[in-house]
Amino acid sequence: MLIENMRMAFSAIRANKMRSFLTMLGIIIGIGSVISIVSIGDTMRSMFEELYRKIGITQAYIAIGYWVDDWRQSDYFTLDEMERIKEIFGDEIAYIDSDASTSGDAVCARTTVKFNYVGIDYNYQEVQPVNMVYGRFLNQGDILGRRKNVVMDTNSARNLFGAENAVGRTFRTTIYGSVDDYTVVGVYRKDLNPFQAMMLGASTEGGEAFLPYTILTWPNDYFYDIRIFARDEATMDVFFENLKNYVARSKERQPEDFRLVTAKAQMGEMDSMMGGLATAVGGIAAISLLVGGIGIMNIMLVSVTERTREIGIRKSLGARTRDIMVQFLTESAILSACGGILGIFLGGGIVLLGGRMLGVQAIVKPGVVVLAVGFSAMVGIFFGIYPASKAAKKDPIEALRYE
Amino acid sequence: MGLWNRERTEDLGGSGSGERKWKPDGRPESGDKGQEESGVGTDWAERLQALWKMGLSRSRKLPEYITENVSEELIQLEDLVKVYDTGALKVLGLKRINLTIHRGEFVAIMGQSGSGKSTLMNILGCLDRPSMGHYYLDGVDVAAMNPDELSLIRNRKIGFVFQSFNLISRTSALKNVELPMTYARKGKRFREQRARTLLERVGLGKRAEHMPNELSGGQRQRVAIARALANDPPLLLADEPTGNLDTAASVEIMELFSQLHKEGTTVVVVTHEEEIAAFTERIIRFRDGEIVSDKPNVPREPEQKEAGPNEKGH
Amino acid sequence: MLIENMKMAFSAIRANKMRSFLTMLGIIIGIGSVISIVSIGDTMRSMFEGLYREIGVTQAYLFIGYWVDDVRQSDYFTLDEMERVKEVFGDQIAYIDSNSHASADAISGRTTVKFAFNGVDYNYQEVQPVNIVYGRYLNEGDVLGRRKNVVMDTTSAMNLFGVENAVGKTFRTTIYGTTEEYTVVGIYRKKLSPFQAMMMGANTEGGEAFLPYTILTWPNDYFYALRIFARDEATMDVFYNNVKAYVAKSKGRQPEDFRLNSAKDEMGQMDSIMGGLAAAVGGIAAISLLVGGIGIMNIMLVSVTERTREIGIRKSLGARTRDIMIQFLTESAILSACGGVVGILLGGGLVMIGGALLGVQAIVKPGVVLLAVGFSAMVGIFFGIYPASKAAKKDPIEALRYE
Repeated sequence: MLIENMRMAFSAIRANKMRSFLTMLGIIIGIGSVISIVSIGDTMRSMFEELYRKIGITQAYIAIGYWVDDWRQSDYFTLDEMERIKEIFGDEIAYIDSDASTSGDAVCARTTVKFNYVGIDYNYQEVQPVNMVYGRFLNQGDILGRRKNVVMDTNSARNLFGAENAVGRTFRTTIYGSVDDYTVVGVYRKDLNPFQAMMLGASTEGGEAFLPYTILTWPNDYFYDIRIFARDEATMDVFFENLKNYVARSKERQPEDFRLVTAKAQMGEMDSMMGGLATAVGGIAAISLLVGGIGIMNIMLVSVTERTREIGIRKSLGARTRDIMVQFLTESAILSACGGILGIFLGGGIVLLGGRMLGVQAIVKPGVVVLAVGFSAMVGIFFGIYPASKAAKKDPIEALRYE
Repeated sequence: MGLWNRERTEDLGGSGSGERKWKPDGRPESGDKGQEESGVGTDWAERLQALWKMGLSRSRKLPEYITENVSEELIQLEDLVKVYDTGALKVLGLKRINLTIHRGEFVAIMGQSGSGKSTLMNILGCLDRPSMGHYYLDGVDVAAMNPDELSLIRNRKIGFVFQSFNLISRTSALKNVELPMTYARKGKRFREQRARTLLERVGLGKRAEHMPNELSGGQRQRVAIARALANDPPLLLADEPTGNLDTAASVEIMELFSQLHKEGTTVVVVTHEEEIAAFTERIIRFRDGEIVSDKPNVPREPEQKEAGPNEKGH
Repeated sequence: MLIENMKMAFSAIRANKMRSFLTMLGIIIGIGSVISIVSIGDTMRSMFEGLYREIGVTQAYLFIGYWVDDVRQSDYFTLDEMERVKEVFGDQIAYIDSNSHASADAISGRTTVKFAFNGVDYNYQEVQPVNIVYGRYLNEGDVLGRRKNVVMDTTSAMNLFGVENAVGKTFRTTIYGTTEEYTVVGIYRKKLSPFQAMMMGANTEGGEAFLPYTILTWPNDYFYALRIFARDEATMDVFYNNVKAYVAKSKGRQPEDFRLNSAKDEMGQMDSIMGGLAAAVGGIAAISLLVGGIGIMNIMLVSVTERTREIGIRKSLGARTRDIMIQFLTESAILSACGGVVGILLGGGLVMIGGALLGVQAIVKPGVVLLAVGFSAMVGIFFGIYPASKAAKKDPIEALRYE
């Protein structure tokens, strides 16, 4: 009987092709826009997750809270303190530095390029692997000896020296007031997709270079924050909590006076914000689904009126109220579900195509697709109930007499 | 011709005669020339005034094939052929018809279904175009006209009466009668006044506000006749006008046609019933797309016991 | 003829009430949601503008840029410098202070309440008027004499002392390590809308008090930012640029090394973000309008088919192609425009009611309303073109023969 009903529904849909298509079109657009918005949201979330993984998900900064009114000098950090933290937490720390960075004009012959310098320790490559193409990374000797050696990416090298392989070349720059010559010991290649490049603010004109943090941070310096990579992502929350407690105690403060910014927490915030936004905007897009559903109801009402005689004939042949009801409900559900499936192709297709054009891995979750089909069929059934019951309740004698 | 049309005629002051020199787009050459001349003035105000007048007249001006021609031969068919192209084979609907109907005649076109009389009816009514030959209506060849020009012809020159009445539902008798005048862009007051006069004339003065479904068959057909007369067309075309009516109502309707004929209207009735054709003065018989006979007829006298058109129907 | 067409359209719409209503409903929902979203956006924008006007739109903070790497002690400000700025710019400055604040527990009897203290000058009331209900505001004597007098709002007084009129009462608090007695010299009443209270973080449990800025900033203190209110909103941009240039020059820096945060700029940014968001989400809501338009097209197509015979009759009576076209276009435009008008009432009404419930002055701009009506009529005409031309092109003979 179900198959019979579906066959009848399809033949009714085929009988009025234009009308059926336009009715479906409402659902296609509705489901299509919901699918695309939710999928754009999911894609963005995954892009941000990837971005955070790229910069190191176990990364965190610890500093005195900006909400603390009476800052003391002891709230800042020294290299001695950093060493003590290294000793105490030992293996739990994958990497630690003074988060030192500066910028200055790098001058090589007649070329001047604005450079950003990031001070790092020799084992930075363990937590933030780079793809060395020429020369070597900074080593322990560079750090301990405060040697004026730098590592830069191919793009920066090209901007400053006009060649990718700049190993052995020197340039002159001013850091904290003193002008010195620096030597390039290694060149690496950045692997960033366009989105990451945009978010990480990679400039195509300027330059970036790693140099020993000991050049930017002297033993007697006070610095604002410590940058740490935890060894283990699973236990990092506990580890950072312990670290905060230790730092606060050593500085005679409460743990809540210190601010701990972890990449993981930031990612979580970003994720829930994007999720919330996608849900809200997806909900607004779903209004069009409601309008599409009303369109189904309207057309089914027209269809019931046009087929009054058919209903009378069916009833005279012994169809029960329920049979007529199911017949029309099947028709509206199929109309809506077909629209839903086409809408998924449309919405998913747009997102995948857009992703390809932007060079981004677009994500269309199967769960969302299943939900959309189910929802569109439900829309069809919901908005089909009124017309179907109107059809089912028709008096057979009057229906037969209808012109 | 109606009063309104005559006014337009004087306005244009063209050189119209019965000659068939009109181009299909219906713009008389003389009219254009006249406007050019009036636009040559050196004074800007004068020129603007001319433009303004042009703008005004454009919306109201009618082609001269509507306003000018008064031909004694109202309908003239020359070697008229209608071929139906039904894909694989071509069916000859009308085979070289030659026929003339003069102004003021009362004609019946008879034939069995499939004889070609409906095809002829559609062509005479300017709903369809002949495949070959000429159809001069009031002296103008309508065979080459485009659909919108045919609309204008139907609006001004032809009044239709159909078997199934074809009143617009959910629209009062009065509004139905007004409809052709609406398409002729007549003013609201004029329309209403004339529609009431016409309904009065067909004996439905008190039923003007009724909807079609509140009227009997005979009454509906009388509304349709009133509507057909709305723009005072020279030709009244009735297609089986009594086909959906009982005998009494049929006689009423035919007597109404007789009366209209006596008042000067040309009436062409298409029918397959001899009793109906008996009311007319000329009977043309069709078979297989050809005229098989064309004879004058002495119309049957109105019987005294029949109800007059001014009294209520059933 | 136009009136005649409109009469015909209305009678056709009335003839199929349910169908016309459902068709309109699509447009009603579409226009309603667009209007509400755009109006919510406009309301939010005006609320933020109100908020910025409340905190003083001529207000600005000036401080060394966070992008400057080599921050020196001289980049901070002293009271002497502040006095010099006052002298140089004189009348152009409505108010200036050292933007100092502190938070601490205030203790009175057995009650301890967390208080936020704001250091202000005696003429702060000129730029940020408060409604003093008991006692007086801080005066010049308080500020110059570093008197430990405070002014607080009624809620804070109630929290700390249990009464609103706390003039003359004292409490004990620890500011920058020294514990002292402070006397309440005045009480004011806050008049904030719930939205402003929320955004400005007014807490109901804690307390706030104004005290002389000279208590929080000592002559030899270095402080981070200058807070300035310009006298004239029209010329404030020029004035602030001059202040920035002057400060930079006096500290041997470039003007672009300093950051000027003006409330007006922030307001402008907020405004453009909100405007962009409202436009984007409104655009997504407009998808439902598209679906509604498709619904109109579908129903008009049904209507044209049903009224084939009527079209034939009209043509036989002399209606031209254009007459039929205009008749059906008028019908779809009226259908859509009526839906649009109802949608405006619905959307506007929802926003107004929501605003009234939340105690917010909701804004529904006439321009938006006009645009919505025009747009809905356009939707009707656009989606009416296909059905109307289908109607207009019908062959009169076939149309007359149609059952």
